Amino acid sequence: MEMKFEKNTFGARLSSMLKVDFRRMFTMRLVYIMLGICLVAPILILVMTTMMDGTVTVDPQTGVETTIEAFDSTWQAISSYSDAGMSMDMTGMCNLNLVYFGAAVLVCLFVTEDFRSGYAKNLFTVRAKKADYVISKTIVGIVGGMLMILAFFLGAMLGGVISGLPFDTGTAGVSGIVMCVISKLLLIAVFVPIYVLASVVAKSKTWMSLVGSLAVGMLLFMMIPALTPLDSTIMNVVLCLAGGVLFSAGLGAVSGAVLKKSSLV
Amino acid sequence: MNAVEIKGLTKNFGPKQALQGLNMTVPQGAIYGFIGENGSGKSTTEKIVCGLIHPDGGSVKLFGRDYTDADVRAKVGVLIEAPGCFPNYSVWNNMMLQAANLRISNAEQEVVKVLKMVRMEGAAGNKYKNCSLGMKQRIGIAMALLGNPVLLVLDEPINGLDADGMRIMREVLTDLAQNHGVTIVISSHILGELEKIATHYGIVRGGKMLCEMTAQELEASCRTYTALQTKDMNRTKMLLGCKFSRVEEDEAGYIRVYDMVQPEDIVTYLYENGILVSEIKTDKISLEEYYIDLMKEGR
Repeated sequence: MEMKFEKNTFGARLSSMLKVDFRRMFTMRLVYIMLGICLVAPILILVMTTMMDGTVTVDPQTGVETTIEAFDSTWQAISSYSDAGMSMDMTGMCNLNLVYFGAAVLVCLFVTEDFRSGYAKNLFTVRAKKADYVISKTIVGIVGGMLMILAFFLGAMLGGVISGLPFDTGTAGVSGIVMCVISKLLLIAVFVPIYVLASVVAKSKTWMSLVGSLAVGMLLFMMIPALTPLDSTIMNVVLCLAGGVLFSAGLGAVSGAVLKKSSLV
Repeated sequence: MNAVEIKGLTKNFGPKQALQGLNMTVPQGAIYGFIGENGSGKSTTEKIVCGLIHPDGGSVKLFGRDYTDADVRAKVGVLIEAPGCFPNYSVWNNMMLQAANLRISNAEQEVVKVLKMVRMEGAAGNKYKNCSLGMKQRIGIAMALLGNPVLLVLDEPINGLDADGMRIMREVLTDLAQNHGVTIVISSHILGELEKIATHYGIVRGGKMLCEMTAQELEASCRTYTALQTKDMNRTKMLLGCKFSRVEEDEAGYIRVYDMVQPEDIVTYLYENGILVSEIKTDKISLEEYYIDLMKEGR
């Protein structure tokens, strides 16, 4: 007697996978810890740099004097201006761009936990299509990363109010800042597929996925200020969107191939 | 139609040949006892059937379709090694997650139903990491039962279960196979338990299928023996050893004569030699003994 099996369409499979992953993501304590860090970090950065503004430190060995400079505007906690280039000073580095590293921690722990707990066995036994898994993890990772960016943004606003920094939009203007935030939100789609790939390669070895993700992330990190300056335009948004789509599709395909070819337990 | 049909399956892990052209046929609705020594290839075969590792060669068909078919794989329940649960989640949350994974519409009722089947409804609120080994096994089986699977692949599911747990498991699996037509592939080293439920057997050694048979065929091939006790066991053993080809003393303290002989002939023979038999019975060797004999023959 031939057995009839229910046809599982791509849409149905993906929607159930997304349900599982969103349910998992938002029942993880880690997500709330990361969101909390993203909210508090800019407040601390803005308050402390404002408090220490103008403080001169002297290196006792070389005698070189360093003056701590605070942010001129709250918006600098979001990004630096395009003319700052790849600025390596504190105000150029300690901004929203740090969230991309935080997202690596979130995504790597989220994906490798499937393999560490053995849940991958349940998952892949009933899910023959690895693409569903990769797409879902990428989408959920992007949403998680975007929430972290928004939490940082909110924290920066609060930090600006607390530290009394001006909200002067300067040459960027409101539209530049809006474009900048949108670009940063879209740019997370470039990073998350890298973290997902590192995690499916490392499987249960969380440390390996974190090292891989942070190493590759570090290379791309240098490009973030140039891609998403405070005075962003629609061009930056388009570039980040295109990059996100290309990385998600390309690296997603590689992640799927890795899962297909490698042992899942 | 066969539920599982494997032909010429090969798998190497580096230089080690885990499977060397394994063939396996599991009829639909069977409880298939998959037996073999450690490292014989049982778990590797089961993992391939579940799509968790990829074979180097051969073919695997589930209900006539390739094992990679997404539709058929959605109806496979699995418990391999340990249950795949998140340790910090409650039993209930782990079950609900798997229900969502299986797209079960009435998830809550379904989870309650399978937890009741394995008598774990009272532990639903416990954190998974706080459950005992036996409880975890039951949860794993409950998870495998979610979504009305048509094929269950269970690797050592009764490990860590107490006597009551084993009885429950027997009842559940027998009911699934007999009343719901679920095919069950079950590997276990506890052959006494397997013997009580299996309808078919597959004995694997060195990555190859040594033999496949039904429970009836096994029954027929299990030799009959005569077991007896006397007051002078040493002399009895010596006397019987001189007359019959295979005489052994078992763990229960009986002398077993495996030759095809009538019990009264043994009693008469011993009486003529001055030994009185205090107890005598005929029985068949168990699956465990058959398996051990088979393994010895192969060496």
